[in-house]
Amino acid sequence: MRKLIALMLSLILTLGAMSALATDKALVEDAQKLTHEELVEKAKAEEGTFIVYGNTSRITTALEQFCALYDITGEGNNLKDAEIYTKLEIEIDSSAKGADMVMIQDGASLEFLIENGYLLNYLPPSVAANVDAADQNPLVHQFINKVFIYNNQGDDVPAIKNVWELTEEKMKDRVLFKNPESEQVNMNFLVMLTNEEWSARLAEAYEAHFGKPIELGEYKNAGYMWIAQFLSNCVFGSSDTTLAEEISQPTAAGKIGLFVLSKLRSSSVLTENLTVGEYDAQKNAYTIQPFSGFMYPMYALVSSGATRPYTAMLFIDYLMNADGFQPWGKSVGAYSANSALVPLEGDLGIDVWKNTLVSEDPAYILTAYEDVSTFVTKYVK
Amino acid sequence: METIQRNQVKRLGRMTQTFLSKPANLILVVFLVLLTFLTLYPLLVLIFETFTVHSGREARAVGLPRGSYTDYHFKRLLFTLDDGGAMGVTYSNSWIQFYGPLLNTLSVAFTSSAVAILFGGTVAWFITRSNLKYKKFISGVFVFPYIMPAWTLALFWQSFFKNEFIGTGTSNGILASVFGIYMPEWFVYGYFPISIVLGLHYAPFAYILIGGILRNMDANLEEAATVLKTSRMRLLRRITLPIIKPAALSTFLLVFASSISAYSVPVFLGSPVRYYMLSTKMKSLMDTYSGQAYIIAAVMIMFGIVILGINQKVTGSRKSYTTVTGKSSQVSLVDLRKWNRPVAIFLVILMLLIAVLPLITFAAESVIIKAGNYSLSNMTLDFWIGTNLTYLDQGDSTGILLSGKVWKALFYSLALAVTCAVVAGTSGMLVGYAVAKKRGTKMANAVNSLAFFPYLMPSLAFGAIYLAMSVRVSWLNGFVLLALIGSVKYLPFASRSGLNAMLQLSGEIEEAGQIVGIPWWKRMTRIIFPIQKSSLLSGYLLPLVSCMRELSLFVLLVPTSNTLLTTMLMQYSEKGWAQFGSAINLLIIIVVLLINYLVNKLTGASIDKGIGG
Repeated sequence: MRKLIALMLSLILTLGAMSALATDKALVEDAQKLTHEELVEKAKAEEGTFIVYGNTSRITTALEQFCALYDITGEGNNLKDAEIYTKLEIEIDSSAKGADMVMIQDGASLEFLIENGYLLNYLPPSVAANVDAADQNPLVHQFINKVFIYNNQGDDVPAIKNVWELTEEKMKDRVLFKNPESEQVNMNFLVMLTNEEWSARLAEAYEAHFGKPIELGEYKNAGYMWIAQFLSNCVFGSSDTTLAEEISQPTAAGKIGLFVLSKLRSSSVLTENLTVGEYDAQKNAYTIQPFSGFMYPMYALVSSGATRPYTAMLFIDYLMNADGFQPWGKSVGAYSANSALVPLEGDLGIDVWKNTLVSEDPAYILTAYEDVSTFVTKYVK
Repeated sequence: METIQRNQVKRLGRMTQTFLSKPANLILVVFLVLLTFLTLYPLLVLIFETFTVHSGREARAVGLPRGSYTDYHFKRLLFTLDDGGAMGVTYSNSWIQFYGPLLNTLSVAFTSSAVAILFGGTVAWFITRSNLKYKKFISGVFVFPYIMPAWTLALFWQSFFKNEFIGTGTSNGILASVFGIYMPEWFVYGYFPISIVLGLHYAPFAYILIGGILRNMDANLEEAATVLKTSRMRLLRRITLPIIKPAALSTFLLVFASSISAYSVPVFLGSPVRYYMLSTKMKSLMDTYSGQAYIIAAVMIMFGIVILGINQKVTGSRKSYTTVTGKSSQVSLVDLRKWNRPVAIFLVILMLLIAVLPLITFAAESVIIKAGNYSLSNMTLDFWIGTNLTYLDQGDSTGILLSGKVWKALFYSLALAVTCAVVAGTSGMLVGYAVAKKRGTKMANAVNSLAFFPYLMPSLAFGAIYLAMSVRVSWLNGFVLLALIGSVKYLPFASRSGLNAMLQLSGEIEEAGQIVGIPWWKRMTRIIFPIQKSSLLSGYLLPLVSCMRELSLFVLLVPTSNTLLTTMLMQYSEKGWAQFGSAINLLIIIVVLLINYLVNKLTGASIDKGIGG
């Protein structure tokens, strides 16, 4: 039976033969040597609509401006990260016309696509010197942060100083978070808390807050313990925008959320009712122990199914510079990987944020993912 | 020896030729092959997917390369019941990911079916068997909830009843902020509202099926009983209910099958209180461990097959869910007397609440800037006709009526709906014709069942299979893919109305044409179609309307989320761009109502055909 199934499986799989990739590594590597003018020339010579997938809504604005600048026909699609990964694989496998370029989060899924040649890395020479070596391959376009933000109205303001406060009984149903099962970066953040570094820092913070060493009981480490108790107190929202809107309501006094800082830009959010915690003006830093939230990179890459690879590279070049970053750079909560672009007035630089936020490590996430995500599902129940 | 063989081959050839020279046979053969490929092949693909390792996290978890054989998904999803630790079996992976949501799904499906039958059946009785006032309004508006996307009602429920003490507990809906009434959590989120909303959404099924029987039921039975001084209750229990039983059962099974795969309603009304159903679990598993998601899809389909089996057994040889009995000329209307006005007013108010108020709410939500503030200074038409809306920072810079993206999606949706309607409607008519002609033969039965099978396939699962299939067939993508799956999925509607229309038609009519030597296609277009025009056109209308408001079926298959109005709306809802979302929602509903109205006015076909005051 097993053999039969395996045989039929391989039969079905070979029905659609894998096609040759439209764009390959060599082409992209060679393009690295082109001057800007040569790249523009090659991009303009390409035909067909330039297609972009991105899981940030502002990609469409950036693309519109790019297309107007170079007189190119483009189509920007704002999809969820998992949808992009599924579609990319299917489209490239079946050599259907799909994306030329993608801008995407969730480094752990990305790793698989890069390993298998679905996505190609292009580092624009114009910014190479200003991008941190660690962020060059795969190329990070920007960092996004999700931080603890609370409603500052009423008498019971949850101005927390230590994340363990969120696990206390009095915080039950007062913490809002997007269900980690529906957004991978949220799950990745939880996974990261179980690594050596963060579980140790959480254990320290526990002692600092409760005045006694942590007792783990059945939990494997402090990370697991915090996750369990934090999620038990959470109410799950369906999107960060909704969370921001909801927490900002006058009726939401006493609530705190962990969501994207950039949502504070939204016109439907009553920003005056919200405070980002916990800011220390003297140190010019956010100081919740041991972290004020988390951050994750948004990557920009060329699809191996690209029929307009040069346009894709030109677009990446554009996005990495001031004009291309403008749709994000005009509000808080987005930080270019290009260090020449300074953060907005009133926001901190990513270097400062990095010290107080949990960052993704794709390698660790992939190792620990199954274990932690299984653990997490027990507490989103 | 050789001649005998040659003669046999010749004879076989001749027999095949004669067999295929009859249009009905040819149609059956063609559809048997087509439908086998379009419904059974996907099923096969789905089963293979449940044994295959997929990429990314799944490959990592299984520890095998992509594409290899594995039974990991089954072990993990169905048989991991011992990792709950001290918290017991309900905290095991299989319980959380499968058995728990399965129980929720079944309870919701049972309750919503009951709600649909009770509500739809009762209204159907009032409309067909009593002298109720305002019948025309009630029966016209009653199908609105079915025409509207299911989540419309769900979103409305949430924005109407939510309050600061439940769910996310952050803001008040209309009931709380305007009237100061705070509903308890069980009423606003979870099992209860999901069941009610789905029940109301599918109540028109009950209304159409049960109403059809009540209308055609021989009143002599009831009159005879009345003459013998039978009490009202006894009459209802012993005569009316037994007569509508087959229709009620068909409704039950149809609503049950539809509720199992409902996705958008549990997303909006279940998630805030951690109430998960199979459909919502399947969607989140699809993102990470798709092998397990395919198992859930297979389970949903198994339910469909069981339901089809029960339905066939119960309704006997008719194998029809419309079970229209012979016509009776004597239908006497029950005089409601003093109850007439109260009942009528109650129903009118109820209709306004579930069919009209949501529309008004969406209109209101689409013009306010900051949620919850209904003052005039907080209102703007920018979400409809504004330009340069960067100040709103909600992704789009123009109002929906000025947005090229929205118009493009509207036309794409319309083109898709029309294509599906034409393909499904025509195929359904042909299938109906052939099955009616060859009624009782094995092949007719097979084609009839195959044509009904897609109905039982949960939309989301069906979409998932076609997605998997499209990987292997290179031309199968974009519009072709969407049109194909839409046509197959809505074929049951068309083949049912096609079959019913053909069964009502006496064979002599076509024979008369045959005798004078009129070719087949002319008989179809000049005789059969004109006679049964309105009922056959209904077979086009139902796919058209369903397709316009479909989400689950297409959500995994659209080239981009901006392709269709419904997927665009889902994306806006998920991003929390409430005003644009409400505006698009209203746009969809208006377009669908308009289509329904136009088709009805131009051709006489309508969804609630056959019933009405």
